[in-house]
Amino acid sequence: MSRHLPALLFLVPLFAAISMPIVCLRHRAWSRSIALSVLCSMVVFSIMNLVNIFQHGEIHYAFSGWPPPLGIEWVADGLASVVLVALSLLGLVTLIFAGPTSPKDLGGRIVHYYTLILLLISALTGIVFAGDLFNLFVFLEVAALASYALVGVAGGKALMAAFRYLILGTLGASLYLLGVSYFYAETGTLNMADMAEQLPHLLTSKAVLGGLLFMFIGLGIKMALVPFHAWLPDAYTHAPDSVTPILAALVTKVALLGWVRIMFWVLGIKVAVDDTPVLLLVGLLGSLAAVIGAVLALTQQDLKRMFAYGGISHIGIILIGVSQGNQTGFVGGVFYLLNDAVMQASLFFIAGVAISLYGVYTIEDVGRIAKQSPLLTSALVIAAMGMIGLPPTGGFFGKWYIILGALEANNYVAVGAVLLSTMLTLAYFVRIFERVFRHAPTLSDARPIEIPIQIKLSVGFTSMAIIVLGLLSDPIVGLLIDHTLPPGL
Amino acid sequence: MIQPHDSIIVQSLGRFLIPVIQIFGLYVLFFGQYGPGGGFVGGVILGTSMLLAVLIFGHDASRSQLAKKVLHGDGVGMLIYAGVGGLCLIGGGEFLNYANLEIPGLEISARRSLGIVLTQIGVAVDVAVTAISIVFSLSAQEIIEDSLNG
Repeated sequence: MSRHLPALLFLVPLFAAISMPIVCLRHRAWSRSIALSVLCSMVVFSIMNLVNIFQHGEIHYAFSGWPPPLGIEWVADGLASVVLVALSLLGLVTLIFAGPTSPKDLGGRIVHYYTLILLLISALTGIVFAGDLFNLFVFLEVAALASYALVGVAGGKALMAAFRYLILGTLGASLYLLGVSYFYAETGTLNMADMAEQLPHLLTSKAVLGGLLFMFIGLGIKMALVPFHAWLPDAYTHAPDSVTPILAALVTKVALLGWVRIMFWVLGIKVAVDDTPVLLLVGLLGSLAAVIGAVLALTQQDLKRMFAYGGISHIGIILIGVSQGNQTGFVGGVFYLLNDAVMQASLFFIAGVAISLYGVYTIEDVGRIAKQSPLLTSALVIAAMGMIGLPPTGGFFGKWYIILGALEANNYVAVGAVLLSTMLTLAYFVRIFERVFRHAPTLSDARPIEIPIQIKLSVGFTSMAIIVLGLLSDPIVGLLIDHTLPPGL
Repeated sequence: MIQPHDSIIVQSLGRFLIPVIQIFGLYVLFFGQYGPGGGFVGGVILGTSMLLAVLIFGHDASRSQLAKKVLHGDGVGMLIYAGVGGLCLIGGGEFLNYANLEIPGLEISARRSLGIVLTQIGVAVDVAVTAISIVFSLSAQEIIEDSLNG
């Protein structure tokens, strides 16, 4: 049974998504219970899978029984399993959050929404588990198509943003596919493990270097790395409130995870450090993204847009961590990836509530929340502490390990970039808190608004998770060091 | 909205050709086990034969009803595929490992053959439906919306 868990984790949401339009043709309300039960079972499966893999080591699952490199392979190692637990938990929390807001927010297209969410989650699972480069592309495309449709699901202004996202996302996918075809032409295989054995002898080939560059640019567009980030702020700002949290928390991070796989599992750490300047390039671009994203966030007026730029800057910080070429930096990067997923979800939950219940869109108005909802304000404070990186949140410990890793590698540019982006993050949250705490109450503030229990649950869960990840950072980082490191690091 | 074609030559040839194309599509689908062909190509041929009926006789003709009915089957093909794969899982093998289709009285080679045919039928259904729904969504928005809203 446990041997099949990686396959089940992908198949259950996929086939639930496909049967949803048929099952819910007459009974639209069923879609929510189906989606919730699928996500609940995914949470259980993913935790069972994590425990199993920590105890018994990686699982290589060959679909149809064809052994790789001939067949299609699922690689469930420590890194994939850890990310999958975060993915299914955050998916479940987003669905709980979507309950009360979604019918109005989505223009009544509930079945579309739940179908697409399940499709997105199964595709992200596919990216995490894929053991060959071509299937990585397939699931990147499935995830992207589901995301375009989710951004535009309510119609209106979001359609233009979704279209822009579609054009740039397709460009990214095509570049990635071009890179994969160069690799295939040189090595004659698509399986990652098989390719990793052949690549070290082929580094003089221009096709491999060119293919690597194409793949990096393609995935860079997918993960919204500066300067390829233009699609992200619009898409996140105009997407429905029940869609943005899952996009912000998962989609860009999983694309980043795909790049980490290629960098450390296909190229291998020796090639990445000694033979090509990949890590240097990624580290520099990460530093740029960390600073530029934070500067752009500082200049925003719109709440959702500011958080979106904050996410762009954090992608840079994660890239700084994984590109230091030592254990501390890599584990810091992975730990920060998990934290960032939770923080982004939390921030966009708060922004979603602020918009849908309080009509607060900009930073000017954000003070209105403070007097009306202490719960929401404290959640905002916790999320902000995580984003800035104050103890005891997980964000602090993530940045701490990333900086330690950068110091170990004598990379002072990276240290400077992380510190500078931390300062800038502090600056843009100070802008919000200035409004929150120095707001003079007006008459309209007196009218209390009841926050639905589902929203309280989901916001409470993410806020708790930000703190718990910080408090338990020592054992978690220990487990990550034991189980998620790439071979040879 | 696609209007019926007014040429008698096109209409008579269509009446003759459409069943032939459909038989050929089924042949390609089932021949896929032994040679070139298979679910994807067979599905495209089946789907285009139904589209030919729509192009020749128009949206509302009785001959075009098949294409409209088939639209509801979007996803059924994937479910056939998933069902076969799930039976293999229950039989104790990997997903889609047809040797584990637990059917009493069948050799392993026969199980593999049966599994391939069933999954290819699933693929063919989905490809045919997708081909039809692409053309319908480009040509007549209201038909899709009508059929989806019941």
